Amino acid sequence: MKLFEGKIHKTYRVKNKDLPIKIDRRLEALGMTVGTSVDVLHKKKYGALVIKVRGTRLAVGKHISENIQVEEEESHE
Amino acid sequence: MNDKIRVGFMGNPNCGKTTLFNAFTGANLKVANWPGVTVEKVEGSMKFQNYEIQLVDLPGTYSLTSYTMEEVVTRQCALSDEIDVIIDVVDASSLERNLYLTLLLIELGKPVVMALNMMDIVEKRGMEIDLHRLPEMLGIPVIPVSARKNKGLDILMHAVVHHKDFKEEHPLIHHHASQTEHQHDHHREFVMVYSDWLEDKIDIIKEALEAAYPDMQKYRWHAIKLLEDDEEIKKQYPLERPSVLNENYESEIINEKYDFIEEIVGEVMVNKSKKEERTDSVDKWLIHPIWGLPVFLGIMAVVFVLTFTLGDWMGDYLATLIGWLGESIRGILVSSGAAKWIVSLVADGIIAGVGGILTFLPNIFILFLALAFLEDSGYMSRAAYVMDSLMGRLGLSGRAFIPMILGFGCTVPAIMASRMLENKSDRLKIMLVTPFISCSARLPIYLLFSQMFFGNYAMIAAYSMYVLGMVIAIAVAMVLHIADRKKAEYNLLMELPEYKAPSARTVAIYVWDKVKDYLARAGTIIFIASIIMWFLLNFGIHGYVTDITESFGSIIGKVAVPVFKPIGLGYWQIVVALIAGISAKEVVVSSCSVLYSVSGISTAAGMASLAGLLGNQGFTMLNAYCMMTFCLLYVPCIAAIGTIRRESGSNRFTAMTVGVQLAVAWFVTFLIYQIGSLI
Repeated sequence: MKLFEGKIHKTYRVKNKDLPIKIDRRLEALGMTVGTSVDVLHKKKYGALVIKVRGTRLAVGKHISENIQVEEEESHE
Repeated sequence: MNDKIRVGFMGNPNCGKTTLFNAFTGANLKVANWPGVTVEKVEGSMKFQNYEIQLVDLPGTYSLTSYTMEEVVTRQCALSDEIDVIIDVVDASSLERNLYLTLLLIELGKPVVMALNMMDIVEKRGMEIDLHRLPEMLGIPVIPVSARKNKGLDILMHAVVHHKDFKEEHPLIHHHASQTEHQHDHHREFVMVYSDWLEDKIDIIKEALEAAYPDMQKYRWHAIKLLEDDEEIKKQYPLERPSVLNENYESEIINEKYDFIEEIVGEVMVNKSKKEERTDSVDKWLIHPIWGLPVFLGIMAVVFVLTFTLGDWMGDYLATLIGWLGESIRGILVSSGAAKWIVSLVADGIIAGVGGILTFLPNIFILFLALAFLEDSGYMSRAAYVMDSLMGRLGLSGRAFIPMILGFGCTVPAIMASRMLENKSDRLKIMLVTPFISCSARLPIYLLFSQMFFGNYAMIAAYSMYVLGMVIAIAVAMVLHIADRKKAEYNLLMELPEYKAPSARTVAIYVWDKVKDYLARAGTIIFIASIIMWFLLNFGIHGYVTDITESFGSIIGKVAVPVFKPIGLGYWQIVVALIAGISAKEVVVSSCSVLYSVSGISTAAGMASLAGLLGNQGFTMLNAYCMMTFCLLYVPCIAAIGTIRRESGSNRFTAMTVGVQLAVAWFVTFLIYQIGSLI
């Protein structure tokens, strides 16, 4: 599934990203590499998300989040 | 003997780097731009023991690629001889992400000292960081500091002094790392060691570099950058090694760094807490899908009211004071027998002009105080997230909403507020568009003309100007967005930092910097421009004139009448009033009163006599509406133009803005007049 379809309070694992190199590198520098887990904290109707990656909150627009493939992580709770 | 040490402050955005920097230097800063780019370079100096320490605050960055100006500047500075020691400011509350830059800085090969900031937040969350294991694993000194409480500052500087000549090739980890069988034995030499296959490639390139560029320093770093396909380094040091260089290993290199970081964090972080952080509970309200917007509008309303009511109230006192000063000096000059034109130059030109700048000062002070508070507390990036959907349609970042709304008060601070936008093209767009939004100085014009010609509908006519201004601003932004060939879809990607109480020192320095800047730089431009305006309105072919109708301004006005005919404003007095209005929009009203010799123009009787005079010239309700529209849209006042020049740093852009505004004003008024004439 796409990160853009993620639900609030769920955790996902990044499978792959199909983004322009500049944006992809910026995401990676911020810690979002393949295999990283991502918590969805907030979400707006049209797809802008607030996620938490390695302890950092990031606001991510729809153009980016719809090009990130993720899978749901097993909940540990 | 006084030795010099040059220290560079580097760190992620929002890690408290500037607060720490300010704690060392105070307000004694030198702000300039890095040569050739618009990235700010902030320098300060201090004495520590016997050392003369020069400090440079580098832009906050997440990494050191060549993709953004900020990162290139930071990287070049770190590599050059300008810096002896790097202070890596790390936000302990997001250690994992901050360590990425730390690894990059260590890899650069300069002495690095880590200032571990925001430990209080870590403690509040019930977590602990192993301060012995962390320096062991990184091979650099780690000093816990509190930038806001001025704690740990001396120890940090002490560490800088001790490590300035850190020639030790072997990081501390060497004593603890298990022996490796790897042929290169890099675990003995480097903090960050990659997988064998990557290390092999690094070594191949390193050897090639050593052969091709014998004078180069930091071979390993350059080799890694070449493997990352770094444009800058590729250009600087071209290398014929297609077999290894044909692929881009940047992703793998980043991944391995983060793998190592995970290992570090796993060892040094104790009690990783699961409990909800305070920031998250505050965010529940501030970026709520429904409440987020009203909360933002409420906060903006408070900023707006503070800036313009409190600011105007203080500004009025200042204006009275300046007026009194002007009159006193006029009196002194007259009684000392100075020539009439000198009296006028000093009193009407210089004091009125400079005084005009000073009366904006309270507004600017309060505005930047509020903005600094919002920025330093961490709210500003939330505002960008909340407004993202609306502004995104105009191809602008969510933050662009703030200068636009401030434009309703005064264009000058609005344009200055465009600084907080992330990229330059957004800033320029906002500078072009904001003057269309009706500032408060235009209100007297609407009041005068709507009351004279619209009777009971005066309020609606005046109100429609505000709507029209907003519509035109949005339309122009839209056109620019559509015309943008690069079609850079605005991609929201931004950190939402932890909320914190703003630091008084950071806020004070920020505000002082803006106020100083406004006075010093915009002041000079506005000062010269006000003298030019004064000259145009007070000098004619026969030299100094007391009657405006004989001035160069009125000659220009008379010549320009044919241009204004198609838009319903072909009256020379009106044209002269419009020209005079460039000095300040409300001057249009006072000029009308001078040009038509009507006194008490804001009284009912004054308005009736002016309306009568205008009526005799064939000036109707439609002409009045055209007048209001043109005043709304044509060039902003000289203070705003000066600010645009200052903020954009480009004469060409400033001239272009003025041109676009005149063209838009003429065209829109033309449409209104022509369509109105048909009805």
